[in-house]
Amino acid sequence: MPDWTWIETQAFSLMVAGYVFGGIAPLFLSIIWRSNPQSRAGLNRSIKNIGFGGALIASLAGCVLSLSVLLSGISLHVEIPETLLFGPTAIHADRLSAVFLGVIALLAAPVSVYSFGYATDFLPRRNMGLMVFLYNAFLLSMAGVVVAGHAVLFLFVWECMSVTTFFLINYEHEDPAARRAAFLYVTMAHIGTAFLVIMFVLLWTFSGSYSFDSFAGIGSRLPSGVRSVIFLCAIIGFGIKAGIIPLHIWLPEAHPAAPSNISALMSGVMIKMGIYGMVRVFFGFLGPDVPEWWGILILIIAVSSSVLGVLYALMEHDLKRLLAFHSIENIGIILMGVGAALLFTALGNKPLAAIALIAGLYHVLNHATFKGLLFLGAGSVLHATHSRNIEELGGLIKKLPWTSFFFLVGAVAISGLPPLNGFVSEWLIFQSLLFGFHMSALAVKIAIPLTVALLALTGALAAACFVKAFGITFLGIARSKAAEQAHEAPLSMTSAMGFLALLCVLFGVLPGSVVSVLDPLAAFLVGTSAAGQVTLNAGTLTIPQGTSSSISPAMLTGLLLALTAIPLIAGYLYAGALRRRVAMTWACGLQEIAPRMQYTATGFSKPIRMIFSNIYRARHEIEISEETSPYFQPNITYELKTESVFLKYLYEPLYKFVIGAAMVVRRIQTGHIQTYLAYIFITLVLLLLFAR
Amino acid sequence: MDTANIQTIGLLIDIFAAAILVTAFLIVSSRSLAFYIRLFALQSLFLGGVALLVAVGYGETHILIAAFLTIAIKAIAIPVVLTRVIERIHVQKEVDFSVNVTVSLLLCGGMVILADSVAQSILGARQADATAVSRVLSVSIAMMLIGLFIMTTRKKALTQIVGLLTMENGVFLSGLSITYGMPLIVEVGIFFDILIAVLILGVFVFRINKTFESISIDSLRSLRH
Repeated sequence: MPDWTWIETQAFSLMVAGYVFGGIAPLFLSIIWRSNPQSRAGLNRSIKNIGFGGALIASLAGCVLSLSVLLSGISLHVEIPETLLFGPTAIHADRLSAVFLGVIALLAAPVSVYSFGYATDFLPRRNMGLMVFLYNAFLLSMAGVVVAGHAVLFLFVWECMSVTTFFLINYEHEDPAARRAAFLYVTMAHIGTAFLVIMFVLLWTFSGSYSFDSFAGIGSRLPSGVRSVIFLCAIIGFGIKAGIIPLHIWLPEAHPAAPSNISALMSGVMIKMGIYGMVRVFFGFLGPDVPEWWGILILIIAVSSSVLGVLYALMEHDLKRLLAFHSIENIGIILMGVGAALLFTALGNKPLAAIALIAGLYHVLNHATFKGLLFLGAGSVLHATHSRNIEELGGLIKKLPWTSFFFLVGAVAISGLPPLNGFVSEWLIFQSLLFGFHMSALAVKIAIPLTVALLALTGALAAACFVKAFGITFLGIARSKAAEQAHEAPLSMTSAMGFLALLCVLFGVLPGSVVSVLDPLAAFLVGTSAAGQVTLNAGTLTIPQGTSSSISPAMLTGLLLALTAIPLIAGYLYAGALRRRVAMTWACGLQEIAPRMQYTATGFSKPIRMIFSNIYRARHEIEISEETSPYFQPNITYELKTESVFLKYLYEPLYKFVIGAAMVVRRIQTGHIQTYLAYIFITLVLLLLFAR
Repeated sequence: MDTANIQTIGLLIDIFAAAILVTAFLIVSSRSLAFYIRLFALQSLFLGGVALLVAVGYGETHILIAAFLTIAIKAIAIPVVLTRVIERIHVQKEVDFSVNVTVSLLLCGGMVILADSVAQSILGARQADATAVSRVLSVSIAMMLIGLFIMTTRKKALTQIVGLLTMENGVFLSGLSITYGMPLIVEVGIFFDILIAVLILGVFVFRINKTFESISIDSLRSLRH
């Protein structure tokens, strides 16, 4: 029996030290270097290696910390007696923290390796010291968010996280789009934090302390009105960070603007901090006795986020924006698990709630791996072609075989196809919802079938979207010179993607081990263990409730492989040796096709654009310049725009109202000192006259 | 101390308070910046006198220090500083009005009446032992209002400073009248504050003059855009 507390403490210190070293050391390095002048690129290279090396070591230590907490069940607790800023605070890493810390560290490690190669792009023209400082600070603040055991410390690291990401989004600051995205992000983040402050102050007024220990299980002592206000504040505050619809507007702007290794972290783990906060507050603080409508509200948010997220993703031709919208979709899927767990808790079916919560948290882990993988793949494409527009790519599978393969693995995983990990968590969510059919409550009778149907729709649309994303980007022939001259990414980048692809397979084929790790956590949060409910043996998941349901992803994998082999063998036996004919991809029998004759992303998504025209409100603009004769048209411009309902009907009116109100107030702002003094004077005299 | 003496001191305080009010009115009606500053010095001198009388008549020794500080800082140091500022920026002449002298004086008269009625309602229950000191309260409130009025209606940056100082004198006087002065540490703090404020404002006036070639704060309006 190892000494868990000792391991945890050491791992924690190593993690903090690694991030601090990786962030600060380059600063000293550049000072020392100044007295020993050599090439700037050489300095940048060593800064890069030290910075990302520190992050890598720290992330591995984070993995160790997370694993030891999860395996032993012993929480890491460090009291910080009296700090200058916050008074006494505490660091507390329990199972819930450990799951999210594990997700952070598990993604941060390969992303750090990836960055070794990816950041070489920035070497000649960028401030590498700033990059590694922000990168390490970002990771440290995220780790801080999940292990903070004190509200003030939590808010501090939460804001650090927002500020570091603000600068990271702004890293390529010559681009006005990046500056706009960063500003939008920081505005939304601050609005979110304001709600979190309200929430913590409300909790404090009833607990008398800011430590999370005192908040635990406070729900039963709160008046129901206050409880609901706290719940709503948590949804808005954490929801903005998580990117739920309609608070998502920053997300599709910010993710593409940031460098790809950062986008992978933002999408893979940062938005999960919102989920962490929600689970902590809903189950840790306010639970376990919750009103029914909370679960229903979360399910509504979850369903609209996932369906609208994937629908908007389908219309995107910017690879990273497309992935950003998929993050919204997946947050929706995760929240389906969380919402179902809340609903089942409210209705008293705790075992089912535990399954739903496990499913949601499992999807957090899965989304981190495959979305991290996909963003790294997109970064690899960007690195090779300097283009994010998939209409300009094509044929990359021949130039970037490894990147293409790993991207395909990620695409299959995010589409929820077996045997990869996306399938398992979505299956678990489906199962927990389907078992809910047995309940007689009216809300459940309405909410559950709708959720199930829309989750199925989401899965199908996501698959369609990734057929588009993968097909147009990697298959066919190159649509631009950049795509033609693309080159494979360096080993550091492909190996990082390979590692994540391996994780996608492992978490898909061996779900039992992940579920058994998450099970005690669910037991701790919901009050009942799912063990005995979800039986795990040899990779088979069984849920014996009412009619039992079981699945074995490992066996499914074998079956799939076997099924692929059957037609090949049958064909061989029937027709003899396979005949081979080499032709151009998608040439449709023609001898030669030009790149512009290929299927386009816009064309591919047209049927869906037609079906959901109410949501997209697409506008076509065709401009034909007729110079000589109507039969020879030198220029035809075609523009297709889809509009965001939320921007037009929610944010624009809000924006107009704020500006309008400011204009009204501005009238009394003459800029004349005497006028201001006169306001004070008149107010004073009137008060003296009437308020004696 | 016997009653006759108390009455004499009370009478003297009344006369000094009236003199302070008169200087305030003179400031309102004055047209020259240099005269403004001299009037302020005189007002501060009278204020110091009231403080001295309170200290002697009611045996509040710590007010003695406050009285000397009033005379040293407000009646001597600040006027000297301000006079120097005027000399350096060569604006001896007119004060700009946005409300003319006649109307200003009438309004200030109204303010004194308002201040008196407010003071009566504040004292209210204590009317029975209306000592000379508490009668001064209405003067102090009037001073605050007049100071604010000067700041509102006069346009030169220096007149703003004098307005502010007049208000401050009013605050000091009300402190004296209600509680026989605030604790010494507070008084010393305020004096220090005021001195520094005047120094900084003096620098500001100088800079404003340099930037806009005028100390009329109308020009600051252009900063709005």
